[in-house]
Amino acid sequence: MPVILDPSAIAALYRSHGHVVLRRARTLLGSEADAREALQEIFAALVRNPDAVRSAGSIVGWLYQATTHHCLNHLRKARTGARVLELHRPALPEIGGPRGEAAAEVRRLLALLPDEVAAAVVYHHLDGMTHAEVAELLGCSRRQVGYLLERAQGLWDRAEKTA
Amino acid sequence: MNLTATPLSWNSCLSGLRLDRWMMGELAADDAGTVGTHVSGCAACSAAVAGMRGVREEVRALALPASLLPTPPRTRRPAAAIVAAGLALAAGVVLTLRPDRLVERRKGPPRALSMYVQHLGEVRRARPGESVAPGDAIRFAVSTPAPAFVAVLSLDPAGRAWVYFPEGARAAQVGAGSEVPLPLGTRLDSTTGEEQILGLFCSAPVELEPIRLALQQQRGALVLPPSCQGLRWSFVKR
Repeated sequence: MPVILDPSAIAALYRSHGHVVLRRARTLLGSEADAREALQEIFAALVRNPDAVRSAGSIVGWLYQATTHHCLNHLRKARTGARVLELHRPALPEIGGPRGEAAAEVRRLLALLPDEVAAAVVYHHLDGMTHAEVAELLGCSRRQVGYLLERAQGLWDRAEKTA
Repeated sequence: MNLTATPLSWNSCLSGLRLDRWMMGELAADDAGTVGTHVSGCAACSAAVAGMRGVREEVRALALPASLLPTPPRTRRPAAAIVAAGLALAAGVVLTLRPDRLVERRKGPPRALSMYVQHLGEVRRARPGESVAPGDAIRFAVSTPAPAFVAVLSLDPAGRAWVYFPEGARAAQVGAGSEVPLPLGTRLDSTTGEEQILGLFCSAPVELEPIRLALQQQRGALVLPPSCQGLRWSFVKR
């Protein structure tokens, strides 16, 4: 059955499904302000282009894809911004303790991975999806998911060594 | 660091996707039953579901963002503007309509031309004057309260006129509806500058070549056939 999405239906969708975006954006971005901004931007994009979700088989699946795409872009932009600001930023103590530092390291490394590889890592390791579920969201085979995850571990190890 | 054991790694047996789909009623009945039985007997998954429900309540308590608030009813077009529009139409002059300001007073969606741009895999709805890039893909959609013969022409920055839609020699019929996507998309070439777009809504399948030639030669002073109305806007390729 086609999904009919006028602005009032999108507002209702925000209430019923917005938590799917907010929860994952918090994990991926590690910032409440950025996660809330992601929530607003993803639903604002849906108002501008409701066809995006109309053609998807599952609303939850579409929200996973949109959130992952938005957050990975955000992490990459933050990385570029950090590089630009590095020279002018005074050294600050890390917040969140060792676990917070390790989470920040995961986000930093995610920003280094190619799009599809990073998405596979997020879906499999951060969302706990099976290879079949990842394959469904990425629109590829399970074998390809296995290859992407192997590649991710290799790139991850190399990035850690050069850090 | 092993990817399976980061501080952000998922800790429940069932994936977040599966639990979210279960909570949102997207699973088939037998599958939903299986997940429900598992969650009720699994501490890790029931904790994950409790966390999901907590965030759901948080979002429900948030104020709706401005982009999702209902828009106030549109104001009527001033009588003077209606008269001016009528005179312009009678004279066969192309109107430069601003869809956010001018609304036709007839049943159904007002006539409008909209454009979607795909840039680096992301699709957005373009606004008049939108900045686009060479290599972007564009596709047009039209809104019309009644079936109309439609065409989309352009005048590129080099002063050449093109027909974006349709492929045939005459305007093609499009049914009544809102944001009806036209079946042809186009990838933009490398010419930069302002490109003017002319959407034609005609009551007859007019020949397009004379209109394309006139657009190229006369530009702003183009006179359309009496059976046609035009909507103009532009985008800028940078």
